[in-house]
Amino acid sequence: MKKKLAFMMVLIFGLSVALMSCVTIKVKPTAANLKNPVIKLESFEVPQYDGYWYISNKVKPTKGKADNRGAPLPLSFLFSVKNPNAYPILLEGFTFTVAFDKDFDLVTLNNNDSYWIPAGKTTHVRATTMITTRSGLLSLLVTGGFKLKERKWSPWDALERWWKGVPEASVPVTVKEGSFAFSANGVTKVIAFEATYP
Amino acid sequence: MKKGIFLKLLIPFLAVVFLVGFSTAVVAKQIRIGGLNDTTGATSDVGKDYAIGMADAFKYINSQGGVNGTKIKYTWFDYGYRIPEAITKYKLLKRLGNIAIMGWGTGDTEALSPTVNKDKLPYVSASYSAHLTDPKKTPYKLFFSSDYSTNARAAITAWFDKKWPKKKDYGKRKPRFAACYMFASPYGSAPIKAIKDQAKLLGFEIGPDQDVSLFAIDTKSQVMGLKKFKPDVVWHGNTTMSVAATVRDAYALGLGADWIINNWGFDENLPRLAGEAAEGVMGATPCAFFGQNYKNMDLVVSSAQLYSPGIPVGKRLIRTVQAWGDALLIWEAMKRADKKGVDLTKKGCGPGIMKEGFETMRNFDIGLGASPISFTPTDHRPTTGCLIQEWKGGKFVEVERVDLKKRWPKLWATKWLGW
Repeated sequence: MKKKLAFMMVLIFGLSVALMSCVTIKVKPTAANLKNPVIKLESFEVPQYDGYWYISNKVKPTKGKADNRGAPLPLSFLFSVKNPNAYPILLEGFTFTVAFDKDFDLVTLNNNDSYWIPAGKTTHVRATTMITTRSGLLSLLVTGGFKLKERKWSPWDALERWWKGVPEASVPVTVKEGSFAFSANGVTKVIAFEATYP
Repeated sequence: MKKGIFLKLLIPFLAVVFLVGFSTAVVAKQIRIGGLNDTTGATSDVGKDYAIGMADAFKYINSQGGVNGTKIKYTWFDYGYRIPEAITKYKLLKRLGNIAIMGWGTGDTEALSPTVNKDKLPYVSASYSAHLTDPKKTPYKLFFSSDYSTNARAAITAWFDKKWPKKKDYGKRKPRFAACYMFASPYGSAPIKAIKDQAKLLGFEIGPDQDVSLFAIDTKSQVMGLKKFKPDVVWHGNTTMSVAATVRDAYALGLGADWIINNWGFDENLPRLAGEAAEGVMGATPCAFFGQNYKNMDLVVSSAQLYSPGIPVGKRLIRTVQAWGDALLIWEAMKRADKKGVDLTKKGCGPGIMKEGFETMRNFDIGLGASPISFTPTDHRPTTGCLIQEWKGGKFVEVERVDLKKRWPKLWATKWLGW
């Protein structure tokens, strides 16, 4: 009986090691062998469009409270991320700023989600955010006042141009100051990223 | 028979033990901290750099083992300085089990104050209003910086000490003081009572205030208003863009007064926007500018390069350093509380972090050019003074580190808390 018990324990241990070896990576990630993942902005779209409008708090709404409210403009970015390594890597999150007409920063987006990317594979990651003509106006007035003055644009000129032009891809949308954070077995690497669409 | 049952139970048990022992999927305990930032809205000019600096700081903290070996999961959202969204996101962060919140401005801090008090959640934010330093009213609100009123009192005192004696009318008449700020802004108006009180204490003649919008890029009418009073020194309590517009207009119109500015209007962008008009402008700096040679600044700069490589280091601001100030503050509080047995991985540990963490700090030095930090159960003014710097010859230089408690100990102890 004791022999049988010992045999069973050895068998279970052996099986466990064998099973774990199936999921254990073959090449151990190190700072030296972790190659930079390749990030591309594949596409950009406005997933839902509600036109260009702005309602000030002086206008009484049909329902709800009066406030300064603006047309929403959802912005959806599709990135491809290729893992050139011989082991899986974890995309731990990313941050980037969206600018219209290259110079005007409208929103900085932070994504806290994690994505595993298998060895040698490419995955797609979608990041969606939303701005409104109200948030755009405030951002412009605080950060873009002098730049608008240089271009001889009023904030309203800029907002109308963007709310009408961005959905039709006639205004360049830039993803800038991007940082994509990756890790593999405790080794971390943050990759800078910038791209303009179209 | 008994052995048979024993074996039947033992074998599956061993199998589970072996598999769990080898598995990498065992979830480690984490300390959850939430963040509310403005990277889109009315304060995004300074909020974005603060938000990114905060994320950098928590990555650095985790690289150092987190809180005594337990990693921090920092989750932050942009609320665009919209109060309803701040409240919604706060509730989400609470549901997610966050034990403390790194907040942002006066808007979210004041709106959430009653909820935070009820939830007993430490709320470390970049709203430095002195109204938030009385623990009788806001026991869970904290920050590392000198409060706005301390900034204002320190700035006018530094000008009085260092600049007024060099003026030709020194000793012949009272110095003249006026203030510019957005009257409707809680941030702008917060320290006005205190700076006027300090002006009176120092023997100034006080002129009429000028209402300058946070969004102003043309302030000629306000400058003309100031010219009638002929001030020697003017306080500007707004943020950088409208401060730059006013300083530029005053220079062009020959106002001839010196400027002292609150911390959110005094950063690396001011000389970029105001040009030569920024020469000699003084401001409150609760911590050093990005990259200035102070203790721990090397960590801030190297982390910015490592964790946010997409942003050129030349574009980083003092706002990143301010974020680090608040991150280092909560890190220290959590380390202290953890050592005293407070379980930071569980909800409801807020009172423990306060009692065993924040409120045990006495002259704690975070470096970064900040003043030493103390909190007691009855006084949440983090510092007793502030460093005043000046833009001179193309760089920021120290003017004076004013310690109000040392200069006016009785007033500090009995009169100035909470406003």
